[in-house]
Amino acid sequence: MNAPLLQIDDLRVSVAGTAVLHGVSLTVRAGEVHAIMGPNGSGKSTLAHVLAGRPGYTITGGAVRFDGTDLLAMAPEERARAGLFLGFQYPVEIAGVNNAYLLKAALNARRRQRGEAEIDAFDFLNMVRAKMRVMQIDEALLTRGVNEGFSGGEKKRNEILQMLVLEPRLAVLDETDSGLDIDALKVVGRGINTLRSPDRAVALVTHYQRLLDHVVPDQVHVLARGRIVRSGDRELALELERRGYDWLLEAAAAVA
Amino acid sequence: MSALERLLGEFEAQPAPAGARLAAAQALRTHGLPTRREENWRYANLRALEGVARFLPAAPPAPGTRLPPLPEALAGYTRLVFVDGRLTTAWPQPDAAQITRLPMDAAVAGDAAATMFETTGDGRMGLIARLFAPDPLSLRIAGPAALELIFVTTSGAAGSYAEIAIEIATGAQVALVERHLGCAAATLPPEAPASLNCSNLRLRLAADAQLRHTRLQQAAGNALHYHTLSASLGDRGSYSLAHISAGDGSDRSSAQIRLQGREATVRIRALAAACDSGIADAQFTVLHEAPGTRSDQLFRGIASDRAHISCSADVQVLPGAPGSRVLQSLRGLIDGKGAEVNLRPRLTIDTDDIQAAHGATTGRLDEDLLFYLLSRGLEPAAARSLLKWAFLGEAFGAIEPPALRRAAELAAAARLSDAPATELLQ
Ligand SMILES: Nc1ncnc2c1ncn2[C@@H]1O[C@H](COP(=O)(O)OP(=O)(O)OP(=O)(O)O)[C@@H](O)[C@H]1O
Ligand SMILES: [Mg+2]
Repeated sequence: MNAPLLQIDDLRVSVAGTAVLHGVSLTVRAGEVHAIMGPNGSGKSTLAHVLAGRPGYTITGGAVRFDGTDLLAMAPEERARAGLFLGFQYPVEIAGVNNAYLLKAALNARRRQRGEAEIDAFDFLNMVRAKMRVMQIDEALLTRGVNEGFSGGEKKRNEILQMLVLEPRLAVLDETDSGLDIDALKVVGRGINTLRSPDRAVALVTHYQRLLDHVVPDQVHVLARGRIVRSGDRELALELERRGYDWLLEAAAAVA
Repeated sequence: MSALERLLGEFEAQPAPAGARLAAAQALRTHGLPTRREENWRYANLRALEGVARFLPAAPPAPGTRLPPLPEALAGYTRLVFVDGRLTTAWPQPDAAQITRLPMDAAVAGDAAATMFETTGDGRMGLIARLFAPDPLSLRIAGPAALELIFVTTSGAAGSYAEIAIEIATGAQVALVERHLGCAAATLPPEAPASLNCSNLRLRLAADAQLRHTRLQQAAGNALHYHTLSASLGDRGSYSLAHISAGDGSDRSSAQIRLQGREATVRIRALAAACDSGIADAQFTVLHEAPGTRSDQLFRGIASDRAHISCSADVQVLPGAPGSRVLQSLRGLIDGKGAEVNLRPRLTIDTDDIQAAHGATTGRLDEDLLFYLLSRGLEPAAARSLLKWAFLGEAFGAIEPPALRRAAELAAAARLSDAPATELLQ
C-alpha cells in the first residue's frame, strides 16, 4: 500500500464559536479517489476549506498531514504550491483579473516551488488550449475576468481546468458536479479521470451518485453532523441513493 | 493673519495689477476662501494653506537651475512647459497651426453660472491662480490638435500658478494632456516647506467639438495642489476627462462641467491613489442644462497607510434637461489602518424623463477573492496587488496614447502598498 498522501486525525473545527467538525479522521493514499457525501450542513465544505487553509475557522483539535508534513501549519498559498487543490463549491467572480493571467501565475507559482523555470508563454497557451478542449470550454473564456459572468456550469468547468493545468497531488473538489447538465457531468468526470494517476489522489465532495458512475471511487465516506459516520466502497453510494441518510443518522445516534 | 489676508496683502503690494486680477482679488475679499464647513470641502486639506509662508510666485529660476527630467515627448503633441508657472516654451509653435494665442482678458468673461462657480462656488481656489499666474494663457483651437501642458517646479518654497483658458471651435477634435510633475523628489530636502501649486483651467467647447483630456497629477514631495477646472459644452459637444491623482502630498481638484448644449456628453474616469499621509480630494459637479445630455462618471480610489481619499460627485439635472442620462459609479478601497475613503454621490433631478443609475461603495479588499487567489498558489502580496489593479482597471479607461497610459499606470502603481507585477502594466 502507498504511504498516506493525506492523513486527517480526529480533526475538530469550530466556526463563529460553533463546533462544526467533531473529530474527523480520514486517510487518503496516492492513487485513490475518495467520495465524501453527507447531508446539507454536515461540514463537508468546512472540511474542504480547512484543508485549503481558509481563514475564519478555528482548529480546536486534531492534526492533518499532507505528504508527511503538517498541513495546518502551512499558509494557503504554500499548500497550493505543495500540490493541494481546492475546487470551490461556489467559485468567486474576480472582475478585472484575467483568467489566463491567473492560470499562468498559479502554474508558475507551482513550478517555482518545484524548482522549474517559468513556463514559456507560447507553450502555456498551447497547453491550456488543449486542456480547454478536454473540458469543452469556449476559448473566449480565457480572456475574460476570472469567472466573470460565467454560467454556473462554466464556473465549475473552469475549476477543473485550473486543476488540470496545475496537476495537483491532491484535488479536493467540493460539489464540482452540482449544477452541471448531463453532458457537462461527463466532461467534468473525464477531466477528473485525466488527473488520476498512481501518485495523485482526489477527494470528491458530492451529493449525487451520478458523478461516481464516471469517476469510480475507491472509498465512499458519509459525513454527518461533523463526523464520518460510515465508510464503504461505491456500493455505499448506491445504497445512499436508495435509502437517503436517515438510517445512518439514526444508527450514529444510537452509537453516540 | 489668515492665509487669505496674507495672500491679498502680497497681491496688493505688487505694482499695478490688471483688471481681471483686481476682480479676482475683490471676489476673494468678498466671498473668502472655501472652508471645511462647506460640504464640498469637508475633506480638503485647507489647513495646509495656512502654513504657506509666501504666496507670491517663485522668481524665474536662476540660469542653470536643474529642471526635473521631463517625460518623453508624446508623438504628435505640441508641448508647452511651465516652470514654476512660467511658460518656457517659445510661442507660436511651428507644429501648432490650429492653435492661436489670444489676449487673456478676452477669455475671462463668462455668464452668471460660470461666475458663480468661480467667485462664490467651488472654483474659488482658481482665483488664487488668477491673482498670481505669471503667464496666463488663452488659446483658441480651430481644428484637430494635440496639446500637452507640463507643469514642473524648481523650488519648494514659492508658489506656482497657472491660469489657462482654451476655447475649442465648432467641430474641432482636440487631445489635451495636463501633467503636474512637481519637483524631482531628489532635489527636495524632506524638511522643505510645502510648495503651493494652483491652477485654473477653463475649457469651452463649441458645438460638435470633441475634447479628450487627461490630467495626471504625479508630483513627488511635500506639495500642495489645488486645481480648478471648468468646462462648458455646446450642442453635441463631447468631453472625455481622465483624471489621475497620484501625487505625494495633498491634492484637491474642483471641477464644474456644464452640459449647456443639446446632447452634449461628458465622460469622467477619475482615479486616486494615495499612500503615507497623502490626501487626494476630488470634487466634480456636472450640470445638465440642455435636453438629451449625458454624463457618465466613474471614480476609483485606493487609500493606503494613513492616506485620505475623497470624491464628491454632484450631478444636477436642471429643469431644461429632459431626456438626459446619468451614470455614476464611485468606489473606494481602504488599504491601511489609518486610511480613509469618503465618497459623496449626489444626484439632483429637476426634470422628468431621465435615466439615472448610480452607486457608491467603500470597503476593504474582499477576503473571499483574496483567498481564492491564495488557494491557487499566489503570494499574498501578488494576490493583493492583482485585486487592487483590477479594482483600478476601469478608471484607466481609454487613456491614450500608450506612453501616457503607461505613465499614468506607473504613477498610480507607485502609490499602492503592493506594486503590481510589471506584466500587468500596459
Ligand atoms: N462562516 C460561518 N459562520 C457560521 N456558521 C457557519 C459558517 N460556515 C459554516 N457554518 C456552519 O457550519 C455547518 C457546516 O457547513 P458546511 O458549509 O461545511 O456544510 P456542507 O456539508 O458543505 O453543506 P452543503 O451540502 O449544503 O454544501 C453549517 O451548519 C453552517 O451553517
Ligand atoms: Mg458545502
